[in-house]
Amino acid sequence: MSGRTEGGASSSRLPIAALPAALLCALWTGPAFAHASERGHVLLLPTDYYIAGGAIAVAASFLVLAILPPKLLERLAAQRLALFSISKDLRVLASLCAFALFATLVAAGLFGSRDPLSNPLPLTIWTLLWVGMTLVQGVFGNLWSWINPWYGPWRLLAALFPAIKHRTMPERPGYWPAVLLFLAFAWFELIDPAPDDPARLASAAGLYWLASFVLMIAFGYNDWSRRSEFLSVFFGMISRFAVTEAAAGNRRVRLSLCWPGARLWHAKPLPVSGIAFLLLVLSSVSFDGLSKTFFWLGLIGINPLEFPGRSAVMAVNTLGLMLTFAALSCAYLAAVRLGERLAASGNSLADVAGLMVWSIAPIALVYHFSHYLTALLVDGQYALVALSDPFSLGWNLLGTAHFHVEAGIVAGHDSAWALWNAQAVAIIAGHALAVLIAHALAFRLHEDARRATMSQFPLTVLMIFYTVFGLWLLSTPTAG
Amino acid sequence: MTDTISNPGPARLRLDRRTVLKGVAASAGLAAAPGFVRYSQAQSAAPIRIGFQCHRTGIGAAYGRWYEKTTNAAVKLINDAGGINGRPVEIIVEDDGTDAKRGAEVVAKFASQHKTDIVYGTLFSHVVTGSAPTAGELKIPYYVVSEGYHVASGKMNRYCLQPGITDVRSQVTSVAPWIAANAGKKVTMIFPDYAFGYDHRDYLPPALKAQGAEVIAQIAIPPTESSFTRYFPQIPAETEVIYHVMVGPAVLTFVKELGEFYGSNRPQLFGFIDSLEAVDINSPGLEFLDGSHFWEGSPRYAQPNDSDAQKVYRAAVGIDDNGAAVGDPKDVSTAAHMFGCWETLYVIKKAMEDSGYKGPEDRAKLIEATEALTEFKEGNEHPQGDKVFNGKNHQCYGHQNISKLEGGKLNVVHRTSIEDGHYEVEADYTTQPL
Repeated sequence: MSGRTEGGASSSRLPIAALPAALLCALWTGPAFAHASERGHVLLLPTDYYIAGGAIAVAASFLVLAILPPKLLERLAAQRLALFSISKDLRVLASLCAFALFATLVAAGLFGSRDPLSNPLPLTIWTLLWVGMTLVQGVFGNLWSWINPWYGPWRLLAALFPAIKHRTMPERPGYWPAVLLFLAFAWFELIDPAPDDPARLASAAGLYWLASFVLMIAFGYNDWSRRSEFLSVFFGMISRFAVTEAAAGNRRVRLSLCWPGARLWHAKPLPVSGIAFLLLVLSSVSFDGLSKTFFWLGLIGINPLEFPGRSAVMAVNTLGLMLTFAALSCAYLAAVRLGERLAASGNSLADVAGLMVWSIAPIALVYHFSHYLTALLVDGQYALVALSDPFSLGWNLLGTAHFHVEAGIVAGHDSAWALWNAQAVAIIAGHALAVLIAHALAFRLHEDARRATMSQFPLTVLMIFYTVFGLWLLSTPTAG
Repeated sequence: MTDTISNPGPARLRLDRRTVLKGVAASAGLAAAPGFVRYSQAQSAAPIRIGFQCHRTGIGAAYGRWYEKTTNAAVKLINDAGGINGRPVEIIVEDDGTDAKRGAEVVAKFASQHKTDIVYGTLFSHVVTGSAPTAGELKIPYYVVSEGYHVASGKMNRYCLQPGITDVRSQVTSVAPWIAANAGKKVTMIFPDYAFGYDHRDYLPPALKAQGAEVIAQIAIPPTESSFTRYFPQIPAETEVIYHVMVGPAVLTFVKELGEFYGSNRPQLFGFIDSLEAVDINSPGLEFLDGSHFWEGSPRYAQPNDSDAQKVYRAAVGIDDNGAAVGDPKDVSTAAHMFGCWETLYVIKKAMEDSGYKGPEDRAKLIEATEALTEFKEGNEHPQGDKVFNGKNHQCYGHQNISKLEGGKLNVVHRTSIEDGHYEVEADYTTQPL
């Protein structure tokens, strides 16, 4: 995530400004202490068996589903267990509190500690929001729609200027603004030399908030947040997989419990831009993992034990990010197209791809979990400390300012074993659920069970491949 | 204060980082407070600002974390004892991302934006070599804790110094007499095929030759390699000692496969702890190393004959007898290197006091005062041991530890003399203008 571990590039790819440093590196030797790291312990685990087992498990789930009556799945998907209802008024309050917190964090980014592990802004954005909030959304539902920092301020403004409530956005751009904004975000996270720098991040986050707020006023809060503000779009899509469903009444929202992925049963097909968005999300997390592997670094001519740092690989990693997105998109569309051919279906590729892409959501979620698990465990602790004293003034707001960060929680053989198993289980279960969701969606497109199953065959092969790829990313030698 | 030094206790230790940070921000807040004009006029009480170029993110983050802990522990003791020239010390951390280009930017930021008195604390050699030219251009003293030979080689500039940790050439040279006398005369080297490995490849053979031993084979392993079995048949049968300096995530695999290759009948093994720095020496896969020897800058494990200074240092930084974080036994420290932060800060203190350092206008005087230092006595300020300092090549020289892995611990079996690590010094930075 962000700048926590990175690779390097060959001198031929270095920007001119970095050449003197690169030449010095080449001429004078000195220790570059490539840390043996926790991946070293994983390398000793029988990961090959896990990878083979994962592939078999996902394939088996396809076979089981092929003989499972679709009515059973439909019944499960329709099951709900009513929980409770919440007043809608709380949403404004929650969002205003979130806005106040956000503003404080931006101020902390500008005026607090320069250390990214002491300043609460990078830890909140990269760890609590991007990693933690994604998991909360994926498991518990769309909490973000309540605690995003725009809704409350927008409602206040709308109370003063009611006309802005009626602003709308044309349908035509679809999710493309969100795709472009997410691409910028992913680039900043994965490729920018210093995304953890508190002041740099404060400027980026503050400007993004302001620009989004202006655009929400111009194009309506609902339209801009649902189709263009990339975090809301992402969190919204991920939350479709969660185990809760919210039904909005006049003044209250009723919550009920459902099976994971059940809410995707009635999902509408996404437009091409929506397909691109989900695939880009998965590509970016995949590339973050890939870019640190010895494989990728070898490919771009870098010694993984001696990185020059992020600034030297910006161009090649930008290309890598785009290529990963292109490769996943091609593979996905090819699998969908081939599936429709096998099923001899008359459905349009756009419709089928737009519907089946929902099965990518759980994969994106489990990749997120597995890829960021160690960062969440350690940096989450740093976040608790930093939030208690956001400006490094000696405060202890949460009582955690002197909390001892246990970095050892992810260190050593036992932790490596436990983390690897958690990651492997998540990846395999996520892909099996993706197969299940794809299977359920296929029955909406094909009345005939045999055709539905045939149509899923290529996509299942892709998911098996992605299971293997995901487990390989987590078990192959990496830099840092 | 004495109590704090000798027995800080866990609760006290946990306060260190925040206490130091608090000091930083508090003085920043003070600058904005109405009464600050009066305070700043009394310049003697204004803090000395040290820019800490820290590997907070990137491939050096595991080291950066411990460099930060050590730095905060030392600064706390320095401040508790009255600071430097009666002024408190502030640490301003900037993350360089373990990135050479970013490192240069951070140095410039320290000089122009934070207006720190000096820059300090860099470990990774590519960041040092990337940042030193900027420090030289901006004429800001740059005290590194890198261990690289780049400072001693004369290829940096007059503003770049390494007074708190020995360089790798000296380390390699110093262990040769012990290897030749105790481990064996026929040595096969296994090292990664890039700069780090080349230091060992180039400096060990002449040092061994001077002791009547010889390197009979050098096996360079490509850095991207993750399985090593196919290289082992290249080890000559008459090998008495395997000298290994593998680094990276595949080290554990390397050891395991070497063990499978040899079984119980192996040559002597000598390695550099760099391979397993911050890694639990008792990890599964490392059993084969039992009975082998390692170089250590400062011992990871507490030794029966530890000096009082060593005990003070370990307690203040917060490492237990196994070299792991107090209260977090799986968080193994980078003990072999991080002492360099502590010692460098005390060298800075000494040089600032010698030069009567008052502010950035005295930076040149500070360099000259550092160059004038010749030796550091073992004690609370230099817990790793005595050192001599060469003002011409800006490099210190000291004792090295050779430890045997036995009973799940690294026990120091030999301590080299300072002279063991000497080589012919050619660099002379003092001829460069300030």
